[in-house]
Amino acid sequence: MTWEQLGGNLIQGLILGGVYGMATMGLSLIFGVLRVVNVGHGAFVMVGAFVAFWLFTALGLTPIAAIPAALVVGMALGFLFFYSVMRRLVGAPELTSLLATFAMGIILEEVVKLIFGTEFRGYNWDVGKMDLSVTVLPLAKLYAFIGSVAIAALLYFWFNRTRAGTAVRSVVEDSEGARVCGVNVGWVYALSFALGIGLTVTSGVLLTMFIPVGINPYMGGVYTLKAFVIAVLGGLASPYGAFFAGVIFGLIENGSYSLFALVPGLEPFAMTRFLSFAILLLILLIRPTGLLGTK
Amino acid sequence: MTRGATKYLPLLPVYLIYLVLFLVAEGMPGMWQLMAMLVFYCAVGQAFNIFLGMTGYVNFGYVAFLALGTYGMALSIYHFHQLPLGVGIVLLGLLLAVVMAVLLALMVGAVALRLGGAYFAIATIGVNEGFRYLIEGTKIWGGSEGIIFSKQLLDTFGREVANKLSTFWADVSVLIIAALAALITLHFIRGKTGYALMALREDEEAAKVMGINVTKYKLIAFVTSAALAGLIGAMAWGLKLTYVFPPEAFDISYTVEGIIIVMLGGAGTLLGPVVGGLLYGLAKYWLTVILPGFQLLIFAPIIIVVVVAFPEGIVGMLRQRLKGTPFEPFVL
Repeated sequence: MTWEQLGGNLIQGLILGGVYGMATMGLSLIFGVLRVVNVGHGAFVMVGAFVAFWLFTALGLTPIAAIPAALVVGMALGFLFFYSVMRRLVGAPELTSLLATFAMGIILEEVVKLIFGTEFRGYNWDVGKMDLSVTVLPLAKLYAFIGSVAIAALLYFWFNRTRAGTAVRSVVEDSEGARVCGVNVGWVYALSFALGIGLTVTSGVLLTMFIPVGINPYMGGVYTLKAFVIAVLGGLASPYGAFFAGVIFGLIENGSYSLFALVPGLEPFAMTRFLSFAILLLILLIRPTGLLGTK
Repeated sequence: MTRGATKYLPLLPVYLIYLVLFLVAEGMPGMWQLMAMLVFYCAVGQAFNIFLGMTGYVNFGYVAFLALGTYGMALSIYHFHQLPLGVGIVLLGLLLAVVMAVLLALMVGAVALRLGGAYFAIATIGVNEGFRYLIEGTKIWGGSEGIIFSKQLLDTFGREVANKLSTFWADVSVLIIAALAALITLHFIRGKTGYALMALREDEEAAKVMGINVTKYKLIAFVTSAALAGLIGAMAWGLKLTYVFPPEAFDISYTVEGIIIVMLGGAGTLLGPVVGGLLYGLAKYWLTVILPGFQLLIFAPIIIVVVVAFPEGIVGMLRQRLKGTPFEPFVL
């Protein structure tokens, strides 16, 4: 392996990492506001991937059109799950919300399996390539990265410059205090959950640019694990921590792939997946509040 | 009746159910496989319950401990079948299964059980994937191909004994493990461990303030649960199937099944996982006949309904009903 190859891999890692980061913001938002870990996270990513796949193959719409569609689908799913189930579980023992979100993920997987079957699918949105001398970057991936950054920036604006965003932040800080100040905490919970799910489903659209033939009802498991590593790395309750942690994770993942490939007898792809888990345990051991966390 | 004997009364219904399952399997032709499946689910439920039910923490990587047990048996027979151990090789397999499951539990538990339930859940969801990809990535233990050891089993024991081991003793051992798990559960519930776990399940901070070493008791429950899972994996998957294949052994749906069985039957009770295991096993058997492929779609909403509407489960509700009746001492 040459330095150029490593450099090329790291550029790819940076691009993918931005999308990973965006894919984890919803998880962190939901944990930050509701103190609920969405164990079914990956299943919502999968739904987004199918939205993009279906719009592209059945209606000929590009992933750019799929982004707002996925946000709408995701927020609708979020409100549906919130008002049917999660509303009763805010503040209940952790066990109940963990099992409920886990079960939600399974329901989504099984419903999608019924509709699309279990074979792997994919689509190819060919909008040209960019030659960076060390690596060739398909523009679709670059657009996914730009989309992630734009969504993260919009979310930042929404949190800091709008009334609704300020209300959400106030609930994260102190839900009782927010209630006293006249914030409709119940609505903030519903909105945050729906927005978190909406962001997660949208990230599924962006991730399809990186998995040409990897769309399948059970594709989400691996993203659940990656999102957990990233979220913990970023401090669990902070969407921005998550975004930057995602970039770091993308760099580590692609960089380590290059290194594992050098070791004879190793299967580098499987090793990068093992590495996610190893990093997770390591952070929990050393600094459970996250490398980018405040405490 | 003495105080010491009444302590063991709740085991009566559990062992009665196991006896009936065994008698049906032995006496009625064609029932063996179904009964073996029911016993397997009861055993899995009991092993899972010792941690999930008693601590209120969820181990989403549960199946990894079953898988490690399977590997323990596979490695023992595959690598050591030339040693003159006789049936001892199966015991060595069981030992290896327990040791490996316990080591993984200690490692994960020591890191993640110090933290809250959310962090623990996050840590365990990776155990399964992490361990599977470690095996596939480093190509140890047959890598992604797995290990097939039916030939080694045949060479060691000859056709007749090998057959008897896989088709009879493997299933009977799971029954024995299930009976053992019930005894351990009772011992935990009625002993110091049970009280400590109950205290921390209700309010972990308060339990800490009371001077209970919560991490220690969580770790005891976690390791016990993992060791039993290892034993079940070694017998119900290893010795019975005589192969181990990573995508099957690490299939997360077994974790889902464990959760359903425990929550439906009644988390933290002795009889609950057995009732849950029977119900789930029968429902699954019936559903695979009339609606193949729909089990998860049917059971996932049931998890939600149970969690939201009656978190105490069937046996938990039954216990409420039986308060003050002569049946009370038998149901725990």
